[in-house]
Amino acid sequence: MDFEGKNEQIILKWDEGTLLLDGWPSDNTPYNMGIWRWDSRVGNWRCDAIYYQRIKEKLSQTANFRDEVMQPASVHWPKVDLPTLRPEQSEALDNWTQSGRRGQVIMPTGTGKTEVALAVMAQTKTATLVVAPVRDLMYQWHRKILKGLGYDAGIVGDNTFDIRPVTVTTYDSAYIHISRMGAGFGLLVFDEEHHLPGRCRREAAILSTASMRLGLTATPERSDGLHKDLDFLIGPVVYNMPFRRAKGSTLADFDVIRIPVALNDEEQQVYSQCSRIIREYIVSQREENPGYNWQELCKETGKDPKARHAQKAYHLKTSIESRAEEKLRVLEDIFRLHNGQQTLVFVGSNAMAIEVSKRFLAPTILSHTGKKERLAVLDGFARGMFKVLVANQVLDEGVDVPEAKIGVVIGGQGSTRQAKQRLGRILRKNGGSQATLYEVVCENTKEVHRSRSRRRSDAYERTIHRRV
Amino acid sequence: MLTSEQSIVEFKAAQVFPDKLKRNAHRHYFEFAEQMLSIYANGIGQQRRQLHKQVEKLFQDEADCPIRRIDAFCKLLDDKSVYYTDPDGNAARLRLQVFSKAAQFHPLVSQRDQLFEHVENDIKHKIAKELEKPWDEIEQCLYADVMEYQRLKEFEGYSGASEFLSRYNVAQLQAALYKAQTMRIWASGDFKTILRYAKLARLLHEIKRIGPSQYEMVLSGPLSVLHETRRYGISFARFLPALLACKGWRMSATIKTPWNGTARLSLSDKDGFSSYLPQPDEFDSSVEEAFAKEFGGERDGWRLIREGEILHENQTTFVPDFVFRHKDGREVLMEIIGFWTPEYLAHRRETVRRFRDCNILLAIPESSLKSDVVKAKDIVTYKKALAIKSVVEALCEFKIKVD
Repeated sequence: MDFEGKNEQIILKWDEGTLLLDGWPSDNTPYNMGIWRWDSRVGNWRCDAIYYQRIKEKLSQTANFRDEVMQPASVHWPKVDLPTLRPEQSEALDNWTQSGRRGQVIMPTGTGKTEVALAVMAQTKTATLVVAPVRDLMYQWHRKILKGLGYDAGIVGDNTFDIRPVTVTTYDSAYIHISRMGAGFGLLVFDEEHHLPGRCRREAAILSTASMRLGLTATPERSDGLHKDLDFLIGPVVYNMPFRRAKGSTLADFDVIRIPVALNDEEQQVYSQCSRIIREYIVSQREENPGYNWQELCKETGKDPKARHAQKAYHLKTSIESRAEEKLRVLEDIFRLHNGQQTLVFVGSNAMAIEVSKRFLAPTILSHTGKKERLAVLDGFARGMFKVLVANQVLDEGVDVPEAKIGVVIGGQGSTRQAKQRLGRILRKNGGSQATLYEVVCENTKEVHRSRSRRRSDAYERTIHRRV
Repeated sequence: MLTSEQSIVEFKAAQVFPDKLKRNAHRHYFEFAEQMLSIYANGIGQQRRQLHKQVEKLFQDEADCPIRRIDAFCKLLDDKSVYYTDPDGNAARLRLQVFSKAAQFHPLVSQRDQLFEHVENDIKHKIAKELEKPWDEIEQCLYADVMEYQRLKEFEGYSGASEFLSRYNVAQLQAALYKAQTMRIWASGDFKTILRYAKLARLLHEIKRIGPSQYEMVLSGPLSVLHETRRYGISFARFLPALLACKGWRMSATIKTPWNGTARLSLSDKDGFSSYLPQPDEFDSSVEEAFAKEFGGERDGWRLIREGEILHENQTTFVPDFVFRHKDGREVLMEIIGFWTPEYLAHRRETVRRFRDCNILLAIPESSLKSDVVKAKDIVTYKKALAIKSVVEALCEFKIKVD
């Protein structure tokens, strides 16, 4: 018990994602650490929660110091049932442990990142928050933690707020709720960590006191360059397994076949008309303003009915591209060709997914698909009862899908990451036999360009062009 | 409230102008609003996407209407709607049933040939027969749980076109505030309401007196002192309707622009936005009201101003009921303690103790005073109504503390 009087007591407190230092004089920055700011609104020094460890080390040398920040609970795993790690997985685990239990592990999709994370959790035995990009992945983590560690984790997200010592959440929910739950976790796991450095989402890392941090991804790069900040938010890259190494070993070989389809007469007519409207509008604007571009057009849609007309034409074009009737016919051909083989169909929109589903009476997994239905569908597909599974962007990243040898991409945007992820999905180890990815794109439309950009990724080096 | 995707703002000379429908320039929107309300009112049973399409169609030939504005209208209409959501999972169950039946016939082809004999329409017909429902009905129910396909159950609506449009204007203001970092308010009254709602929105304040009954308040969140954050944008948006219901203020919010600069959103009570919250009550209690009415504007050189000053220390604030300002410059605050529970009185006592160095005169009901309390100079007591005479006497005897 301290009897020297209240004023000299220095107290470190948690306050909505920040730390308050109570009792430290306002005219003297604590330990000359630049991280502190004097907050005259509350009359305390304040700093980001991410610095908790550093502060604690300094302050513990101070007399009359009391730490009121919530401490992570230690966790007992009811039943650990994890596979033996492959050499590259153990290497990743060891590197992470040796670098102070902070850092990023970069491994291609399908090489067992989750297993590394579960091994980390089994070892650290501390309260853990797992952050995943979408709720499907969040539920998948929940299942894997239950299966591998015997622990029924809490869920924050999908209209649920159930915090437990081990909790799974999404990036969006983590950003919203981290000011409430940022204290009390010893370990943060960021799945698909390239989602973290965004201007808002990064706060999930900054507003937490967790000292141990693990980031997982196949593709850390971001086009905005913000991936550099992952060093600060999570820790250094501790393991990086190149895609090429994975391709020959743990992943199967694959072919990429591009099938151009033509629009029907009516579609083509509308499509050309739309293209003309857009072209004419932009040309007319450039007469006065040579640098005129699409962004400016979008800004002017409120004032200029012609600009709005052009924007509408653009949207119509996009919808024709993704919904072309011809694509359904090509799909039928692919189904005939690969009758008896498990086939995954990726589509760009809910509307297209539902159209394919209604035409072929095949089950879908969409962003809103409930837990029960999702399990039934994935299970039915794994058992081979369903031959076809239609999915929208939901399955783009990391969601474990039962093996399939045939993938069909309809629509979709042309980013390198998506291409890698989608490939990873169907290329899970499947008995060494050849896998095939079909890309169905409309001819003479900008989708052809997307398809080209998709192939720029090194995974697409062996693309075969074939007309059906 | 709208989503960011429905927000329309214009940036001009570092100022932010959220989309606003004006009484004159947008007079024809009155009719649009009425039509939109009637689309929904008559649209019970229709799918969400059908309702949205009808609204969109209204504006087909309207030159002055960005797509985001139409989306925002739909959002505000949906906010007052209840849709059938299929909570029992009937659609999901039907899907599994239909797809399981169809699975053995995969692939469903459009035309029979030697290899593939399961024609799409035949199989659908067969399944329909097994389920004893026409196929069209099955297909309609198949994805009835998907948001766009949900059917309208009830529409509460707005009181009329004019309320709908003014709600739109406020909603666009709120949406612009999602990207706000701090909000600065200059106020000359309704302090209690402003501070209470700021606290409800979990915002921190910084208060500066800039003149008699004139205050500058900066609102932000805990993190704001460390770095730029959008975390409190929602809080500003939630707080705004309370501010709009007040009088005697102007406001300037710092907003992050898409190209990472900053701009200001400026607003005042003169801008003609109407809040959907009621105006703050003028008086907290009948004792207060009766006293103010009887006192009138001025007595013996003392002028009475309601809730005219803010006492504050860190995040604790106290707005006494009245300020008395004398011609000679003396200023005394008065707080009327009403007839309340012991807990409330204890809480009040704690607040008053905290600001005991300020010039506060307390009016306390006799029944609340414990018999052993020595009557201090800065206390007046009352039975049912507060007597002017005793207050004026107390004011004249009040010893002004100078710090």
